[in-house]
Amino acid sequence: MGVTVAIVLLLSVFVQGFATFGNLRVIASNSAALLILSCGMGMVIISRGLDLSMVAIMVAGAATFATFSNAGYSEPAIVGLTLLVTAALGLANGWLIAYVEIPAMLATLASAMAIAGFFRFAVLRGEFLLLLPPDNPAVVFFSRDVVPGLTAPVAAMIITFVVTWLLLRFTTLGRITYAMGDNFQAARLIGLRVRPATLLIYMYAALTALVAGLVIAASSGTVDFRTVANGSLLYEVILVVVLGGIPLRGGRGGMRNILVGCALIAVMRNGMTLFDLSTQMQDLLKGVVLIIAVATDNYFNPRDTETDTVGDL
Amino acid sequence: MLSRVKSSLVNIAAGIAVCAAFALSTGGAQADSNIAGKKVIFVPIAAGLTLTEAWSRRVKEHADYYGYSFDIRDPAFKMDAMSELLAKAISDKPDVLIVHNPTVQLLARQIKEAESKGIRVVQINLQSNQPSTAYTGANWERIGREIAEDIVKECGAGSGKSGEVSIIPGQLTAADSVMLNQAAFKVFAAHPEIKVVSNQASDWEPEKARQITTTVLQQHPNLCAIFGHWDVHTMGAGKAVKDAGLQGKVIVYATGGGDDKTCQAVEDGILNRVWSYDADGQGRDLADLVDVLLQGGAATDHTMLTIDSPLKIIKLGPGYDKNLCFKL
Repeated sequence: MGVTVAIVLLLSVFVQGFATFGNLRVIASNSAALLILSCGMGMVIISRGLDLSMVAIMVAGAATFATFSNAGYSEPAIVGLTLLVTAALGLANGWLIAYVEIPAMLATLASAMAIAGFFRFAVLRGEFLLLLPPDNPAVVFFSRDVVPGLTAPVAAMIITFVVTWLLLRFTTLGRITYAMGDNFQAARLIGLRVRPATLLIYMYAALTALVAGLVIAASSGTVDFRTVANGSLLYEVILVVVLGGIPLRGGRGGMRNILVGCALIAVMRNGMTLFDLSTQMQDLLKGVVLIIAVATDNYFNPRDTETDTVGDL
Repeated sequence: MLSRVKSSLVNIAAGIAVCAAFALSTGGAQADSNIAGKKVIFVPIAAGLTLTEAWSRRVKEHADYYGYSFDIRDPAFKMDAMSELLAKAISDKPDVLIVHNPTVQLLARQIKEAESKGIRVVQINLQSNQPSTAYTGANWERIGREIAEDIVKECGAGSGKSGEVSIIPGQLTAADSVMLNQAAFKVFAAHPEIKVVSNQASDWEPEKARQITTTVLQQHPNLCAIFGHWDVHTMGAGKAVKDAGLQGKVIVYATGGGDDKTCQAVEDGILNRVWSYDADGQGRDLADLVDVLLQGGAATDHTMLTIDSPLKIIKLGPGYDKNLCFKL
């Protein structure tokens, strides 16, 4: 949090055009997909899971949507079928983890490869890119303002954020999620339905991935499978969650942490672009700032026997 | 010398092309050739791209006609896999190896190794630092220079515009990006009124190009032109221009293989001017070159044979025609 505020102050002073309302809108619109994905990933990580297939599901969901809309289906049918396919992918992840009992990291790593491979070769027939025409329903929907000044991607981001907050804070599923992350065996022993909860958590993560996929596809006009191969988006999503303060061992943290983590990454990305720094320099600076952020956090919140538990990375 | 080699090669190629075109038009015919049974391997950056599919399609047609084998090894954008696949391809001892270089340096050592083992290496469209038997593809220096000159004409002195330009390379070390930038900056150096306000790579991704452009437009609302190094990722930048309501004010330049999606983007105003190197035509040049090399053709002074791809400028206006683009 402190590092984020420090960076915002520094950029406001040194970068012309940073501290303007217009630029705030740019930051919000450019980080919409990142925050939406982070909501799903945050929930998974709080339950002491990890979903490495989120970006693959994101692209697969967008590809499904584009394929059905290119085939001329009606809009309700396209939305319904895409939701069904995406939920099924999340369900498959949850089933592998909860019932086959494969560790989440391995299950989702394998499913990411399977999903990306299947969609690229069976659905896109080897293509890497699917271009969306300007009249594609997703492009039309996400290109407009929901209310004047509030674009559809930013609205989708706010809705996902609020829904995730409500889910975690006020529902049984949310409480089970925290209990699973805190102590999985204890949660299971006291009779919480951890297996169905796991299914729902991964299905929810898949649905957030779909929303993010549609936002990216609509704003760039393409569904791009290279996003899965180069992996940088997935790392950024995990970084947002962990930097925000949700430990990988789960059980703690909430939406405030995701917001802080996302703000840090989004502000840095924006500031470095405004500075016209080269890609290599951007990577270098990102790494340095991340190390500073983690080191500062360790200094102010030193580990003790309570927080330093097995499984924390 | 090079031009002589080029012209003689072009003559041979044209002759073969005419024969091949005639034979292919008869449908599934096969030539009684002395190159039947030879082996050709192609290692692209990734199969499944319009570019690589367009090239492979033409070579495959020639391979079927002349009876030589044509094998594609797909690294799917993974650079480590590409080096491994190339090592395997070299150990398979093909007669001709076609290589699509992602950077000027990555495959240089392996190209040298293949040539030293007697394998004739053709570099397609993206050239390595290491010369080989032949290169066919775009003349990136020419494209960079021509686009920069057009930008100077549209945005430079006397145009009444800001002169602000944003460049979006694929990767700063990619062969085409290096040459396009060198050529463009050489032109801009003579025109101080042109200010390059951003030069950030998109990793070839439309979404990254869109995000960069959205941010740059925020800081430079009077931006005059965007020079994207590949039409596919530049479409993301064009989308950002459209979303900012600046279509028509910011001129979006790109280069590309010129398939039907490029023409569609030009018609939609997402891209404004595209220097196309016509991937379909490149496919035929490549196939002709392979045929010639399999028959023993080479430059007499052992320099690299070169075929520059003819360029088409795709933009709306009197000369525009959908047929400037090809369809796979």
